[in-house]
Amino acid sequence: MAGLREIKNRIRSIEDTRKITSAMYMISSTKMKKAKQALEATEPYFYTLQSTIDRILRHLPDMEHIYFESPEVRQRKIGLLVITDDKGLAGSYNHNILKMAQDFLDRTEHEVDLFVVGELGRQYFVSKGIHIHENFQYTVQNPTFNRARWISETILDKYQSGGIGELHVIYTRMESSMQSVAEDKQLLPIRRAPTAEIPADVYQEEFLLMPSAEEAVDAIIPNYITGFIYGALVQSYYTAHNARMMAMESATNNADDLLRDLKIMYNRARQAEITQEITEVCGGAKAQQMSRNGK
Amino acid sequence: MSVFRLKIITSRRIFYEGPCHCLIIPGLDGEQAVMAHHEEMIIAIRAGEMRLQVEENGDWEYAAVGQGFCQIAHNRAVLLADVIERPEEVDANRAREALERAREKLRQKQSVQEYHMTQAAMARALVRLKETERFTASPDRRQSGSTGGYGKSR
Repeated sequence: MAGLREIKNRIRSIEDTRKITSAMYMISSTKMKKAKQALEATEPYFYTLQSTIDRILRHLPDMEHIYFESPEVRQRKIGLLVITDDKGLAGSYNHNILKMAQDFLDRTEHEVDLFVVGELGRQYFVSKGIHIHENFQYTVQNPTFNRARWISETILDKYQSGGIGELHVIYTRMESSMQSVAEDKQLLPIRRAPTAEIPADVYQEEFLLMPSAEEAVDAIIPNYITGFIYGALVQSYYTAHNARMMAMESATNNADDLLRDLKIMYNRARQAEITQEITEVCGGAKAQQMSRNGK
Repeated sequence: MSVFRLKIITSRRIFYEGPCHCLIIPGLDGEQAVMAHHEEMIIAIRAGEMRLQVEENGDWEYAAVGQGFCQIAHNRAVLLADVIERPEEVDANRAREALERAREKLRQKQSVQEYHMTQAAMARALVRLKETERFTASPDRRQSGSTGGYGKSR
């Protein structure tokens, strides 16, 4: 059995760590509550935006546009927007994102322009020696629409000038409040689903685009991109704190388990020491008595 | 009285959901009014002023709207915009500051991208300021209901 002093040291160090993890748990749970409000406020927008865009795309007349996929291959340099968190200690949150990004980089045969949001992502790519085209370090904490605007302007500017021919976003999408998955979404060019065969007797709604199809798409798609990026930022922020909260909760629980085991071990060791001392004292006393009696 | 279902969603909240008699929004090339049984249409919206009449001959509600679009189908309209603010919600001081900032920036040399951003910010600030004026103005000025002359059109 380990010495009393060693056990005591371990208990103390675990207690200190536990203080940190439980404090971080409290911090991220309050931050998560704040993020949750933002998320709930923006969810209807995010999902309606996507479904409406899908609907518009289904009914749009056949047209060629820079934002739509076209058969002829344009500039195939790919823009990749990776959204990570600023800090670690959030379970597998950052690893999932970075792993997906790394897989993407390994798989593609095209050149990739990286746009990174979040300090951790930046550090990762810098340490790997991968060039980052632009990073928006400040943007992860407290996402606002203005920042989403700035990001999407920067990327769309590149897209329109032909610097990149494709835009992917890797972010964390939440499935439910407990589950989230890293997702790779192609934002540009927009894939138009092949027109399904529609029976002739079904009424097909047709939208008139104002002022003109060209101009409407010109205005709506950047709006969609900005909205999507904002939604992705808010979701990522929320899931990061959710992941951190859960990681810290389990760390605190683990610390509690360890402490309980160690306390038992410590008490046993202490008891053993006392018993041993008593035996020694008793043994000593008896020996003395016997030697006195023997005189 | 015929109405249509209207849903106005912004990135921060659901601004309005319910019946509507008449909706006037700033399209890219001028204002567009939407009434019941409107043709199926998608309208791109620039930063400007929108008006909304829930009941026939009812009061007009005004709001400052950012960029977005409106989709109308089957007597239902969905308006999606990044920001929409009621006149009483607009912080006049903040809008004035934003306008000043934008003016200041326009004087400096900047890239095309920055120029676009500043232009958009300026349009938003102007619209919001205009709405606050409406809120504080006297009722008779309110009736005149000017059209959204501010904001940059493309």
